[in-house]
Amino acid sequence: MLQLEQEIKKLVIETLHLEDITPDDIDPAAPLFVEGLGLDSIDALELGLALQKSYGVSLANDSKENRRHFASVRALADFVSAHRKA
Amino acid sequence: MTMAFSINRWVAWAPGLTEQDAWTRWFSEPHSLPAEGTPPLSEMPAMMRRRVERLGRFALQAAYGCQGDSPSVPVIFASRFGDISRSVDLLRQLAHSVPLSPTSFSLSVHNAIGALYSIARGDTSAYTAIAAGEETVEAAFTEASALLADGARDVLVVIYDEPLPGPLGHASGQMDFPRAWACWLRAGDEAPGYSLTCHPAEDTRDAPSSDGLPEDLTVLRFLVSSEARLDHKVGTRCWRWQRHA
Repeated sequence: MLQLEQEIKKLVIETLHLEDITPDDIDPAAPLFVEGLGLDSIDALELGLALQKSYGVSLANDSKENRRHFASVRALADFVSAHRKA
Repeated sequence: MTMAFSINRWVAWAPGLTEQDAWTRWFSEPHSLPAEGTPPLSEMPAMMRRRVERLGRFALQAAYGCQGDSPSVPVIFASRFGDISRSVDLLRQLAHSVPLSPTSFSLSVHNAIGALYSIARGDTSAYTAIAAGEETVEAAFTEASALLADGARDVLVVIYDEPLPGPLGHASGQMDFPRAWACWLRAGDEAPGYSLTCHPAEDTRDAPSSDGLPEDLTVLRFLVSSEARLDHKVGTRCWRWQRHA
C-alpha cells in the first residue's frame, strides 16, 4: 500500500503539473482539495481521468462517494487497490 | 469616425526580447527569434501558473508588466489565433478516441487566458477577448476606444500570438515566434496621441508586408517609433494609424 501511495503521489504531481512539489511533500492523510494541497474541481476531473488510464478504475457519478475516494492520497490508494483492473 | 487615444506605457515580450531598449534595437533590424524562452510569470501564483501554456505565459507576462501596481482597469485580450494548439491537441485526441484532458478543454476557449488574469488578481473589471483575423489589433484598439469614449479613464490592451501548430502552420514568409505586447491606453488628450481611422482602400492589391514582420508587430513598431503614419490594407479596407505630436 505504501508503494501505491507513492505511485499516486507521483501521478498527482505529474498529471496536475505541480511545481516544486515532491512526493515527500505530500502527506498521504492530508486533504487533496481546497485545504491541504489546494486542488480544485478541474483537478478532480483530471485526476479521475489519470486514474482511469493508469489503473482502469472508473469513478461513478455519485459525488458523495467520489468525495470520499478523493479525500486524500491514502483514500485514493484504498479505492484503487480495491477496484484496479490494470 | 476617428478613434483617438494616447499610450501611457507599453511592454512587450518575445524570446530574448523583454526590455523596451532591446525591442527598439530589434525593430530597427528585425531578425527571427527562437521559439524557446518562456517568461517566468512569477507574478502569478504557482497553483494557477501550472495551467498556463507558452502563449498564455507570454500574454500574461505582458499584462502583468504593463499593469504594474496600477488599480484594475478594463482589459482587452486580443489574439488572431489564440491558444489554438490546445484545440488542435484536443481534436487529435478526439480523432484517436482518447479521453480529453478536462483542464485543457476548459482552457481552450479564446477568453481563457484573460480569465486566468482576472481570477489570479481577483479583478472583476470588464474583460473582452477578441479575434478578428488580420485586423485583430485594429479591432482591439477600436474596442478600447469605445471603452474610453464610454468613460473609462484607462484601458489595458494585450496582443499575443504564436506560430500555428503543425497541421495549420504553413510557410507564410513572415517571421513567426511567440510574442505578446501590452499598451496602457488613455483618452486622446495626452501626448503622444494617436488616431485610428478606417477608409475604403484606394488600391485593393495586396501590399506585401515590408520586412516580414507579423502584422501585430508592424503596429507596435509604428506606435513606439517616430513615424507619422501607418496604413494597413486588408481587402477593401484600409486602416490608418496616425501620430499627433
